[in-house]
Amino acid sequence: MSAESLLVILSGIPWTLAITAGAFTMGAILGIPLCAMRVSRSWLLRSMAIVIVLILRSVPPIVWLFLLYFGIGSGFFQVGPMQASIVALGLITGANLSEIYRGALKSIHPGQWEASHALNMPRWSVFIDIMVPQLVRVILPSATSYIIGLLKDSAIASTVGVTEIAFQANFISRRHFQGLEVFAVAGLFYILISLPVAAVARYSDGVLRAKVAR
Amino acid sequence: MANENGRPKVVERDEIVRALNVGKSFGTHKVLDGINLTVRSGEVLAIIGPSGSGKSTLLRCLNQLEPQTEGSITLAGITIDARKAATKKQLTDLRRSAGMVFQSFNLFPHLSVLQNISLPQQRVLGRPKAEADIRSRALLERVGLASKADHYPVRCSGGQQQRIAIARALALDPKIMLFDEPTSALDPELGLEVLAVMKELADGGMTMVVVTHEMHFAETVSNRVMIMADGRVLEEGPSQSIMRDPQTERAQRFLQAVKNR
Ligand SMILES: Nc1ncnc2c1ncn2[C@@H]1O[C@H](COP(=O)(O)OP(=O)(O)OP(=O)(O)O)[C@@H](O)[C@H]1O
Ligand SMILES: [Mg+2]
Repeated sequence: MSAESLLVILSGIPWTLAITAGAFTMGAILGIPLCAMRVSRSWLLRSMAIVIVLILRSVPPIVWLFLLYFGIGSGFFQVGPMQASIVALGLITGANLSEIYRGALKSIHPGQWEASHALNMPRWSVFIDIMVPQLVRVILPSATSYIIGLLKDSAIASTVGVTEIAFQANFISRRHFQGLEVFAVAGLFYILISLPVAAVARYSDGVLRAKVAR
Repeated sequence: MANENGRPKVVERDEIVRALNVGKSFGTHKVLDGINLTVRSGEVLAIIGPSGSGKSTLLRCLNQLEPQTEGSITLAGITIDARKAATKKQLTDLRRSAGMVFQSFNLFPHLSVLQNISLPQQRVLGRPKAEADIRSRALLERVGLASKADHYPVRCSGGQQQRIAIARALALDPKIMLFDEPTSALDPELGLEVLAVMKELADGGMTMVVVTHEMHFAETVSNRVMIMADGRVLEEGPSQSIMRDPQTERAQRFLQAVKNR
């Protein structure tokens, strides 16, 4: 394969990373209110959260993407391919992360809240000093493996013309009729990007979890 | 009556806790019914009784972890009446006077032993970290765990964790300490180290309310014993007379059952 082809595929990496990071950030933030609704005392909020999460998770990512890009994006709003990809994956990520957050909340022993209250700790401190550090330790391993999944899902952005890794690989393979090599290289890139993320996952799972294990 | 455990007999001293006609229901399930209770400064009250009789619930009402649904509770001068929602300030003032120790220790697992004791001092009392750490180390010394300061709670035995939890509560200078079965989750031997710390606290004049299954503690360390069953007070009075000579048939049955265990 020519150096030029390799460079073209390489040029897709920033887009792949941008979609992954953008969608994850959006989902990480969106997951917080969704999780808060899901565990709220209000019956209405809880049901709304259940329905939203169900809808977001049952529709395939590519359908969300087409809905945003060709559906909404071609009508009243102008939605670019990049925005549509980030928002589509971000919405789904939000739903999934809200469930991961909820699981983490449940994993915190109720005695932690009781002790904090009995000690009279201010509410902000209970959240920042006691809950967040424990939640992060529980969430980090699942969140990092979710990021790896998201990295691969970002390839669907190629269907609406975002020039990320899969798009460029497709482009090159059609131009030079060398599918096997090109897609093998693209696959290799995905693996290389996943490695550091997987390392973080392993580290967080081992070291951090050991600390909070009861 | 002579006081065999050598503690000065409590005569007229300030009341720290007064519960008047306290009731608590969870939905339709009535867990506490018409509880009256007074604890004076320096006194140690042991609460015993069969499982499910409402001992923990009563203790949790005293520091308002669970608000009572009937009656009023006064703790360190703060009165909270079931008919009127407590203000945030009332709750803060009340809880500041009451330290609590749980059956399951409830240390913060992600903080070192020292941080566990220092952080609440910094956040609740606004003590500077250096000052808080000095106090924490002194308390760790007192509970015999000075060497554990930089460990994490998981690295400590149950008995050590409970002593750390006691130090954490004491660091906030409470006027009264509430213990909910502090030794129930421990092997008997580890329970003894915790009981020794509690006895020393009692001897030092700390006011304590202790829910316990340790009959020896109830009889020898506490000044008074209260026996509960089905959400009511069966009997209450000086430790030895209650433990050796209960009046009601239900209390006799309970004490018989525990002694034969
Ligand atoms: N949050 C709650 N919601 C509903 N019911 C509760 C709650 N907490 C306690 N109860 C009920 O109240 C009753 C008294 O419970 P409590 O824990 O006070 O008993 P206890 O005397 O401490 O028992 P044990 O010796 O087993 O600790 C029990 O029937 C229990 O099921
Ligand atoms: Mg109990």
